[in-house]
Order: sequence, then C-alpha cells, then structure tokens
Amino acid sequence: MNRFLELLKTGPISGFRLRTKLLLLALTTLALPWAGCQYAREMETVLRESEQQSLLAVTTTIAGSLKGRNELLFRADSLSGSEDSNPRDITPVVLAGVPLIDGRADEWDSNARNLVRVAGPGGDSLRLLAATHERWLYLALLVRDDRWIFDASEINPLNPETLGDRVWLAFDDKRGGQQRVFFGSTGPGAVHARRIETQEYGREEAVEETRIQAMWQRSRDGWVLEIGIPMSMVGQHLGVLIDDRDRRGARRNSYGTLESSDLRATGRLIAASPDLNDHLRQFSQPGVELTVTASSGAVLTRLDAPALPGDYTRMRGFLPRMYRVFLDGGAIPRSVSQADRERAQQDLIERAAKGAPATALFSGRYENSVIVAAAAPILAADGKHVVGVIQLAQTADRWLTLRDQALTRLLNLTLFVTLFAVGAAFWFAGRMTLRISRLGAASETALSREGSLSRVLPESEARDELGDLSRSFSSLLGRLDEYTGYLRTLAGKLAHEIRTPLTIIRSSLENLESEAQSSGGMGENARVYVARAREGSERLGAILTAMGAATRVEEAIAHSERQRFDLAALVRATVEAYGTAFPHRRFVCEVPAEAIEMNGAPELVVQMLDKLVDNAVDFSPDGATISVSLQANETEVGISVANPGPPLPPEADTKLFESLWQSRAEGDTPQGRQRPHFGLGLYIVRLIAEFHGGSARATNLPDNSGAVISVRLTR
Amino acid sequence: MKKTIAIVEDERAIRDNYAAAFSREGYAVRGYPNRREAMSAFAARLPDLAVIDISLEDEPEGGFELCRELRGLSAELPIIFLTARDSELDAVSGLRLGADDFLTKDLSLAHLIARVNALFRRVDALRRPPEEKQVIHRGALSLDGERMSVTWNGQVVLLSLTEFWIVYALTKHPGHVKNRQQLMDAANVVLDDNTITSHIKRIRRKFQVVDENFDAVHTVYGMGYRWVE
Repeated sequence: MNRFLELLKTGPISGFRLRTKLLLLALTTLALPWAGCQYAREMETVLRESEQQSLLAVTTTIAGSLKGRNELLFRADSLSGSEDSNPRDITPVVLAGVPLIDGRADEWDSNARNLVRVAGPGGDSLRLLAATHERWLYLALLVRDDRWIFDASEINPLNPETLGDRVWLAFDDKRGGQQRVFFGSTGPGAVHARRIETQEYGREEAVEETRIQAMWQRSRDGWVLEIGIPMSMVGQHLGVLIDDRDRRGARRNSYGTLESSDLRATGRLIAASPDLNDHLRQFSQPGVELTVTASSGAVLTRLDAPALPGDYTRMRGFLPRMYRVFLDGGAIPRSVSQADRERAQQDLIERAAKGAPATALFSGRYENSVIVAAAAPILAADGKHVVGVIQLAQTADRWLTLRDQALTRLLNLTLFVTLFAVGAAFWFAGRMTLRISRLGAASETALSREGSLSRVLPESEARDELGDLSRSFSSLLGRLDEYTGYLRTLAGKLAHEIRTPLTIIRSSLENLESEAQSSGGMGENARVYVARAREGSERLGAILTAMGAATRVEEAIAHSERQRFDLAALVRATVEAYGTAFPHRRFVCEVPAEAIEMNGAPELVVQMLDKLVDNAVDFSPDGATISVSLQANETEVGISVANPGPPLPPEADTKLFESLWQSRAEGDTPQGRQRPHFGLGLYIVRLIAEFHGGSARATNLPDNSGAVISVRLTR
Repeated sequence: MKKTIAIVEDERAIRDNYAAAFSREGYAVRGYPNRREAMSAFAARLPDLAVIDISLEDEPEGGFELCRELRGLSAELPIIFLTARDSELDAVSGLRLGADDFLTKDLSLAHLIARVNALFRRVDALRRPPEEKQVIHRGALSLDGERMSVTWNGQVVLLSLTEFWIVYALTKHPGHVKNRQQLMDAANVVLDDNTITSHIKRIRRKFQVVDENFDAVHTVYGMGYRWVE
C-alpha cells in the first residue's frame, strides 16, 4: 500500500494534472468490456461444448441404431468393410446429382480420395474413379496412353487380328457368378458393353449388354471411358482391365484391377446399402450433414451438406467485426483450404474408427464459418469390431450468432458506459480542478502584499472535503489576519514605544544645552557631540514619522469627504507650485484649457500629485524636464507624470505600487540618503487612486529614456 | 507667586526633564506618575496648568479620563495633552474633552515652553478687561491676540492653541497664501501635511458650527491656504 502511494506520488502519473489522472482512472473501466469478453468466451466455450455434446449424443444414437445392422450399412451383397482393405477396392463416392456420361473427365475430381491408380507398361497408367447416385454405379477410367488404337471396322470382335485397345469390366453377379464385359473401341463416342457368350457348338459370340452405358472420348494425354452400370447388376467384387495395344492386332499389354490371367475381379466394391439413406433420413435435421463411412474411412453416404452460414457471417459492420477479431483470438482454427478441411474431417473419422466417439471443430468453407463435427463408431453385432463411422457436422452459426449478439450488446453497452464514465470523470475532474484552482486562486490573493486579508473564500458552503479545506483555509487566514493585524499595528506600537525614549533623549539634550548656556556654555567638543546627538535623534524622529505615514494616509482616506472640484485648475496650480519647490527641475504641464469637474477629495489628489512628482524628481537628474499631463473623457480622467531617468526594472509594474517596495538602489538618488524612504510614495498614490475608483500603472518611455506613472481616476 | 504646572506622565525621565525645563523658566512643577495620584493632589489644590500624557501606567486612556475630571473641577484651567501618539483620532478626542492643545512629544522643549507661556498669557488676558488694540477685526471675525480668543459674528469660536495660531497667521495678511511650513512655524509645531490639512478642516468645522456658510479659509492647491474676507 505504501509502495503504491509512493508510486502515485513519484510514479509516472505524478506529473499529470488532476484532470488527466482522473481520466486515466476512468479508463480503467475499459476492464469492463475485457471482463465481458472473458465472460463471453466462457459462455461460448460452454455453448460450444454443449453443442458438441448434443451433436455427439445424436451421433451416438444413430451409431447405436446402426449397430450390428450390416445390411443397412452396406449393400446386402457387398462385403462388410471389416476385412482388411485391398488396394483394388473400389469405394464409390456418393454424388448429389446424376452425372452426365459424356466421356469427359472434367466433372470428376481426379484427386478424390477413392482414386485407384494402376501403372501400365511404358508410362501408361490408369486412374479409376467410382461414384454412385441413386441405384447406379458410375466409373471413370482416365487413361494415359500414347496411342489409342481402334478396332478394325466390321470385324469379328473376337478376332485378335482386328483388335485395338480394349477395356474389360468384370464383376460378381448376385448369384455368385462372374460377369465379364468388354468395351472395344471403334472411335470416340458411345460404346456398347459386350459380353462373350458361348453358343451352341462352342461358338463364341459377342452379345451387347444394353443395361450398361458408356462413352469413350479422347483426352489430353490419352482417353477417358465413362461407364454407368445399374447397381443391381453388381455383386461384391468389381474390377477393370485394360488391354493396351501399340497397333491393331499387336500383342496386348494388360493392366488394371482384374487378374489378367482369368479376368477375375478381386477388388471389392464397397458401397452403402440403398436403404441406408432411408434409414438415416429419419435422423437428418436441416443444416446437419450426416456422413457414414466404412471403417477404412471410405464414404458410404452423405446427407445434407451443411447449410450456408446464416446470421453469423451476415453480421457485418465495423464494431461486430472488430469485436470478433479480438474475441475469437485463435480458439478456432483459421485454415480454410479444402484440403485442410478434408484432413480435419479425416482425422476425426480415424479417431472414431478406433472405437471412441470424438468431436472436432474446424473452419468451414465460408469466411468466419465454423463447423462443429462429432463422429461415433458403428459397431458390428459383436459390439467389438468397428464396421463404420458416422459423422455429424453442422455450422456453428447458431451459437456464434448467439455469442456475437450477446457480445455486441454487451460491448456496445460497456463502451457506452465507459464513454459515459470517462465523460463523467472528465466533467468531475474539470469541476474539481476548477473548484480547487478557484480556491487556490482565492487563497493566493486572500493575503495581499499589504497584509490586508479577504476572508471570504469560495467553496466554504460546500459540504465535501473541499469545503473542509476551504473552511480550514478560512480559519488559517483568520489566524493569519490576526497576526498580520498584529504586525501592522506593530509598526505603530513600535513607533510609539520608540518615541518615548526618543523624547527622553531629546528633552535631555535640550535640558543639557539650556543648563550649559546658563552655566556659561559648554566646551567646543561637547557642543559638537550634542549637535550630533540632536541630529541623530531628529533622524530617528523622521524615521518614526515615515513609518506611520501609510497608516496616516489610510486614516486620512477613511475620513475624506468627496466634493466637486476642478481638477484642471488644481493640477495647473499644483504644478506651478512645484516649479518653486523644485528649482532644479523643469515642469511641463499639459492640461486642457477647459475645466474638468470631478468628484473626489482634492487634498488627496494633491497629495497624490506630490508623491508622483516626488518620485519623478527622485529619479531624474538635475535640470531634467518632468511633464505632467491630464486627459479626460466622459467617465474618467488620466494623470500621468513622466520623467527622464533610469528605466523601471521589469518586475516594477506590479510591485511598484506595493507598500515597502522600492527599486532605488542605495545612493541611486541624491535625496536617497537624506530622507528616510519606505517605498510608500507610490503605494500612497495607489491608495488614493483606488479611493477615486481608479488605478495606477507604471511604464517605461518608448525609448527607455525614462518612466511614466499613469493614474486613472473616475470622475 | 510662581505659577504651578502639573505634569502627569508615567515615564519618569520625561517627567523630570520637562520639570527641569519648566523650573528653569521659573515655574513651580509638580509631577505625578498616574491618574490616581494626580487626582488626589488636584482635589487638594489645583495647578495653574496641566500637561497630561494620554496613557498612564496601566490605563491606556487614563489621560482622557483625567482631563474630563479636571475639567469638572475647573473650566478655565489650561490643559495640554502631550503624547507619543500622533493619530488623528486621539487629537480629536483630546480636544473634544476640552483640552487647550494637543501636542506630540516630537515637539521641542522650547516650543512647549512657548505654548505654556502663551496659555498663561491667555489666562491672564482673560482675567483683564479686553483691550481693543489687541483685537484684529476681519469682517465678521474678531481675533484677540492677547486672550487668544476668536469670535465670528460676535459668537465665540473655541479653538485650540494650535488652531488659534493658524487662524492668526492666516488673518494677519488676508489674501496672502500661507504655505504649510509657514503655518507650522506660526503654530510652533512640527506637523506633517496631513495634520495641517486636518487642522484646517477642524478650523473650518468649528467656524461652521457658528455659521453654516463660513467659507473664509481657501485651499490654494500646491501652495497652501489663505484667508478670504
């Protein structure tokens, strides 16, 4: 505490004005919005966690409903995904719309996760993509091939001599048999799938399989074959094989996902049961994306992509945006690339695939959108094996919007409160400063240099500490007043006290002289000493008189009566008289010819002129010209006395008219040593000017060749 | 028979000095340090003149009180206040109590003796029938230099000795301006400007008591005063 007080006294803010200090203090209310943000973050965390928990609960419920129901999860005739994965497995993605079978690769995502890549001879390669929509399976073969060889026209498709590039598609049928169809290339365009059937007599014949649609087109670095097969035709396994020939009838180079020896499909087709969507739809909610994957992570089905971000991203404007910047502050990952999102989703699914439900938070596709996701494992009937994962994702808009609305309200409110508090503090500080400085100014001027006190201080009615301060100032001033009163009378008392012994000395000296005279005179030396003693006592007497001069003038002013008189005549007559009183100075009198009537005490005005001229004489050299001028207007008269001589010191203007201040240096003036001076002359001038409702001021002549004392009196 | 002067002054040295000076002039002097002793002596026998200090021992205003009591005993007894104080207020109150003069202790002994002599002269003169040749007539004013008394339109104007001498100096040569120094010399006093001014004021006021329209004392600014008939 002491250290804190010490810091306040000497610390960085000690140099500031009170107003600034209070302002700084008021700024501490900014902690309010900070606290609000902390609270909002807490609230957000709670909301998010509860959101995640509820999402997880739904996920777990759906996972529970799928537990042990492989037939719902996977196509009845496909294998369960529990077996070890095989690089030849085909996991079709679930498409939202019907793909166009046009032999073009552009609608396929050639980087999709379910891509199966097989390298062929001589730099050739196959990229196999699969997708489902409704009850159809779609395949796209993106083949890099330096030479696309067509079959000879009108050939026997079974005659190797006539064959060009050829694609085999093999799959199980529902009855467990193997089905093999091939696509022979006759040129870009629609192709038919053909099946080789053994007719009677062992004759083999190519029969068109019309249920399968296909389109074969050239691509930049080879060709593309797009195939559509009804899901009902396909059993557990499916594969493709490419017979690549460098020229027609040449030896084939086969590569693909089939065994090239017997064209057996070993890669599985992992696809969801057609009933899965129906089952899941009962759990679907708007804005919630529902994804079911096999335990390998292959997506079986996906329902309802998350709705477009709603209110949250629509909350624009400067303030909410700013709030968000310093609110979110890293709680939510900011990465927005598709790959990052996929990876995050994949991580979540992998975690769930290990057997434990999990939740995650990642940023969505749109600016500031956040997705909250929960994933739960789907267990096999034995309750041990994980056969799939179900994942629910939804945008976090709802609680973000909620948070932001609350925060915006809170922050707006606290901002307003802070502004108000700062304003109030500023106002209060200003008022306080004003009051204190008013009190300070009053207490500073309460004691004038002459020792007269004004005891009425502002704020003395106030009931707070300032009032107390004012009152204690008042009582202090009261005591000071008593003391200065004592001091002021001290001179008088002192003069009185000194006068008595002085009288003793003087009367003794006079007696001594008288005695000496009557007894025949005193010696030469004795007379000198007596004369010196007399001179000394007379000087002492003059000093005592001078000491009391101001008091006597004040008394005289107090007893003065005003009368109307002609100031012009008075000044003229008085200045004339100075000519004889001061034979070593020349006097110039600039007074208007007409009479200037004024209301005042003429004898005081004369006394004032005496003092002004005394002063001018004291500071001017012999033979100098002292000019006395008088101007008058309707309400005021101005008298100024100018004399050549030393200029006034800079502080003189304010101090010159104060009691006991004099600028004359010792021996400055010829008269200085002879007459006792208490600097009362100009003080008396001021007193008399003030009695006449005026003021006095001193300035230097424009060329600094002397001084002018001007007095302003009201008429 | 020697005239008796009573000095009531608490400062022994001053009292003795004054006593010595008065004795040299041929007066019998009795000194008293305080009002009690002075009054008991005065009750037995009145002096011919009393010089009284205002503050006496433990009584700061004892001189005033004494003056009042003394006036009760005798209306004619000349009383001079002699004080270290020089405030206007004291002078006014002293004179209002019927003192004949109010002097500060700055005054030299010679001046003091001159005043005392003058006062005795006046007392003597008052006892004799008035001598016309001593009387100056200036319009409504008649001024008896011997008795030091002044009448205006036949009415007596009670002036203190100082005031009388000022009026005397002014009326000797009516119309002539007397400056302050001249007035001070005439009145045998050393006074500052303000005191002269207040003396003049008092003189005007005293005349105005008997004649509201009195306006014979003129101020000549920067110079002094003059008597205008």
